[in-house]
Amino acid sequence: MTYRSASLVAYVAFFALLMVLPFFLNSFWTNRMATYLVYSICALGIAMSWGYAGILSLGQGLFFGMGAYMLAMSLTLADPSNNPVPELMLLNMEPDAVRDLCCVTTGSFLWIPFRWVTVGLLAGIVVPCILAALIGYVMFKRRTTGVYVSIITLAFALIGQLLIINNQPLTGGFNGLASLAALEVAGFEFDPYGPSVYYLVTFTLLAVTLLARYLLSGRVGQVLKAIREDEARARYLGYDVENYKLFIFCVSAGVAGLAGMLFTVTSEFAAPSLMATSFSISMVIWAATGGRASLLGACIGALIVNFIGSLASESATFQPVWPIILGGLFVFVVLVMPNGIAGLFKDFFDRRSASANDGRAVPATAEGS
Amino acid sequence: MLMTAIDGKQAFEPVASPILRTRNLTVRFDEFPAVRDVNLDIADGELRVVIGANGAGKSTLLDLLCGKTLPSEGEIWLRDKNIAGIGEAAIARSGIGRKFQTPTVFKDMTVLENLQVASNRRVRVFENLFERIAGKANEREAAVAERTGLQDSLSRRASELSHGQLQWLELAMVLSQEPKIILLDEPAAGMTAAETDKTAGLLLDLAGDHTVLVIEHDMAFVRQICRTITVMHQGAVLAEGTAEEIEHNPAVIEAYLGSATLSHA
Repeated sequence: MTYRSASLVAYVAFFALLMVLPFFLNSFWTNRMATYLVYSICALGIAMSWGYAGILSLGQGLFFGMGAYMLAMSLTLADPSNNPVPELMLLNMEPDAVRDLCCVTTGSFLWIPFRWVTVGLLAGIVVPCILAALIGYVMFKRRTTGVYVSIITLAFALIGQLLIINNQPLTGGFNGLASLAALEVAGFEFDPYGPSVYYLVTFTLLAVTLLARYLLSGRVGQVLKAIREDEARARYLGYDVENYKLFIFCVSAGVAGLAGMLFTVTSEFAAPSLMATSFSISMVIWAATGGRASLLGACIGALIVNFIGSLASESATFQPVWPIILGGLFVFVVLVMPNGIAGLFKDFFDRRSASANDGRAVPATAEGS
Repeated sequence: MLMTAIDGKQAFEPVASPILRTRNLTVRFDEFPAVRDVNLDIADGELRVVIGANGAGKSTLLDLLCGKTLPSEGEIWLRDKNIAGIGEAAIARSGIGRKFQTPTVFKDMTVLENLQVASNRRVRVFENLFERIAGKANEREAAVAERTGLQDSLSRRASELSHGQLQWLELAMVLSQEPKIILLDEPAAGMTAAETDKTAGLLLDLAGDHTVLVIEHDMAFVRQICRTITVMHQGAVLAEGTAEEIEHNPAVIEAYLGSATLSHA
């Protein structure tokens, strides 16, 4: 079996497994798995920009958080207890303020469009994309590369987190948005603990994976790879390198925003902690563990790391040291298997085909994933 | 073409149909002029060799022409378009291809992928969104590979190629761009004698269809391709003429032959 067909088998097996999984899970674990799959989508976004284009964003949490907040605002307004204005605004308003979204607190009018859930759903992707376009434009036009991109994106995520925390009357501040209605689309209500949300997330992951594969296996992916290899050479061949980087950075941000929205659906809250540095770095660790240059690898990395993390959090011994384990894992992956789990998978096939070329027979032990 | 001694801003001899002209092209690094007041007129289809000692400003001149370095003063005209400061990618798109002294290729990609990236003339992101990649070379890529002797290495990773082959690959990529003007920085560096001969043959072959500007140290190689030579010295053009004229030019002799730089090969 060649690497190509083996990886196709791996993709099919992975998604087939996801499709049947809820039949074996209770409602708690269905919800947990749905959340981990949300993280998979996020890791996929990182694989696209970091793995394919060499852009390591440490501010992915900003886009994820923005996505989460956009939908959470709509779902807040959809909850009857927040009618006519969200409770968080009542707590923060001036005593004689008009109880209407237009003017209950400073800037509360910004919430008005979010009365329509469609606006929240669209904004969850569009706003992160616009933010990424602005940040990316400034960075890439100035030809910022490598570690400086990481630092700048990290800084923007911190700014975003601070803005949210410090504008409590508008954003719910440190507590975030937590009294949300369930997502309802065309009369169908998605239950975070039931299979509906699980499948919503799984099919979104499938769709994003297919789109990403289509995009990256084509010319754009090839040029991005070339840019990752040698940016200057790509320029001398006539490619506007910064436009390509800007494009994939925005796509990656849009994917993170989409994941953020789904996070709001599975977890029923949005909080500034989603924009915390540690969370953004965790995302990078998921992608690195699974293999940053592999879409499926990144997905699996997110699942594995979070699954182990959740087991650790149930143990009194491991729970306090989990961040240390996570950090250690990152160091281990970077030093020992820089291409992650997917890299090991590929190496296995490379070695096999190399030894096959030597004329030695290799027993066929091809396995799906 | 007659030899003209040029010092500073003095008049140049017009070429019949110049495709590339520079006017008072100057660049300073920390006030130090690496290239100063260079006026070049390169005819369409010409093969021009630029020689000079290390630090004479040859590579910097190419850097200016391909947009890697921004000029402090002066103009670069590609036909009737001033290309100074429009950016490397735009310069490449208007028809200037550059081969570096140290081969710069996409090492983690196959030879074919390198050629595909280079030969793709639709360079914008949105033009390429739905563009699929062919598994084998198209006619143009196959022709370029044949011309540079890479036809049997198409599926090899660039990182597995020898130094000489890397030079050929980069040259093949530049040719795939189908540029009007090809800038070559010491194309024969690190090549074996046989490869050097082949390079010389290829350069002569290219001239005519393309305009070629070559930097070279190796006088034996220069004599082999034997065309108009521009001598640079301390950032400025010292002399221009045929190989024979240059070798008998007193200014050139004074500047170089004493130090044996011109004849080291």
